[in-house]
Amino acid sequence: METINELIYYYSQNGGYVWEQFYRHFLMAAYGVLFAAIIGIPLGILIARYKKLSPWVLSLANIIQTIPALAMLAVLMLVMGLGTNTVVFALFLYSLLPIIKNTYTGINNVDQALLESGKAMGMTKFQVLRMVELPLAMAVIMAGLRTALVITIGIATIGTFMGSGGLGDIIIRGTNATDGTAIILAGAIPTALMAVIADLVMGWFERKLSPYKKRKTQIHTENAAA
Amino acid sequence: MLKIKRSLIIVVISFAVFLSGCSLPGLSGPAKNTIAVGTLATSESQIMGNIVKLMIEHYTDAQVEMVNNLGSSIVQHQAMVSGDVDITATRYTGTDLAGALGMEPINDPDKALEIVQREFQEQFDQTWFDSYGFDNSYAFTVTRELAERENLEKVSDLEPLVSNLKFGVDNSWLTREGDGYEGFVEEYGFRFSKEYPMQIGLVYQAAANGKMDVVLAYTTDGRIKAFDLKVLEDDRRFFPPYDTSLVARNDVLEQHDGLAEILDKLSGKIPTEKMQELNYEADGKMIEPSIVAKEFLEEHNYFEEE
Repeated sequence: METINELIYYYSQNGGYVWEQFYRHFLMAAYGVLFAAIIGIPLGILIARYKKLSPWVLSLANIIQTIPALAMLAVLMLVMGLGTNTVVFALFLYSLLPIIKNTYTGINNVDQALLESGKAMGMTKFQVLRMVELPLAMAVIMAGLRTALVITIGIATIGTFMGSGGLGDIIIRGTNATDGTAIILAGAIPTALMAVIADLVMGWFERKLSPYKKRKTQIHTENAAA
Repeated sequence: MLKIKRSLIIVVISFAVFLSGCSLPGLSGPAKNTIAVGTLATSESQIMGNIVKLMIEHYTDAQVEMVNNLGSSIVQHQAMVSGDVDITATRYTGTDLAGALGMEPINDPDKALEIVQREFQEQFDQTWFDSYGFDNSYAFTVTRELAERENLEKVSDLEPLVSNLKFGVDNSWLTREGDGYEGFVEEYGFRFSKEYPMQIGLVYQAAANGKMDVVLAYTTDGRIKAFDLKVLEDDRRFFPPYDTSLVARNDVLEQHDGLAEILDKLSGKIPTEKMQELNYEADGKMIEPSIVAKEFLEEHNYFEEE
């Protein structure tokens, strides 16, 4: 009970600061995922086209994923130095696997018959990609982004050791203070909350973009028209 | 396949280089006009770091980026030398004499300061400013109750009791060269029956609720006052002085006109008792260092009168 009171007191004293770190933390995670999407989605499409590449790219992404976060940051620090950019780059690397893999799976799972009919209609390869494959794979790709964002929000906490700031700063300060339980919670709760909210919001997008739901509404409108 | 693998690696590396050179909106400012201030993980270091940051932002239009939670003085030093950090907010004369400079400890505070100022200028092209005015030294600390019962005033008074005293101490001190535990045993001629290595932040509570009898505390910690602990006098002057200053790289001072004068305004402004107070705001009252720093500077009007 006392911890909860302390927690409330902490937020009342440092509300602005916590918000600042929350925002910073989110930005780091979001940049990581954004850059990973810029590289990962085209790469996923590429390996779905040239299947021989896929084991190479996927196992490389798999290997990256198995490196412990602290070790990854320590190695990157040697190359890139301290600071926020190093952390963003680490988050970028961790986001690659879910994004590449989901893009690859999404594109691969598009019904062969639909591709054929697209081709038969005289679409170019790019048109097939843009009008058939991508819309149908979008929900799966979004699921990849969702996983990546939740992972990076967690890992960004460790970025505090590279001097990047974020909610990890608050947690570390709590471990240094005498009675830091409330401070640790003050940093940990928003982190968990951010991950949950990110998951919910991305999940909503995922459902919105799902082609199957769209088809149902189309049937509805057709029925209504009839 | 090898060719593809190679080109993939090239893409990743060039991306890393691109990313480390650029600034991300909302996260880091333009590299040219940004000053990076490094601090340790302690509240004291972060309060001082934020004071430095706010002073720079108040007087110039440079942006300041904090690099918090650097592991130790050596890490701070390396970050300065490699250029990751432009200013370190808290550097202690005793620590860097032994650490960065690898010299013997010097017990005269003025002489110690003079030496680090000269050596940092010559060896590393960095300016070691005059002390803020506080000395964050180690001190053997006991509860007032124990001190009164056993009539303890100075460290030597501990010697007859030493066989049943539990001694709580920061783990880095036990293995430290020079002014560490071995040096202490040599100087005072006794050792405690059992040492309990722990996080430095925990020793105050441990002493206050009787888990430890003697702890090695920092003199600037606000909890000494808050928990009514007694600092024993270092009667053999074993601990070298740990006067605290900020250190800045000379190229940064040259790049920003008047920066040295701004930073120099902080010299001698914060005596040990004031630092205890500020630390207690952060450790005891759970106010974040950045807010403590802001309130302190607003109270003193950013030292504008000078």
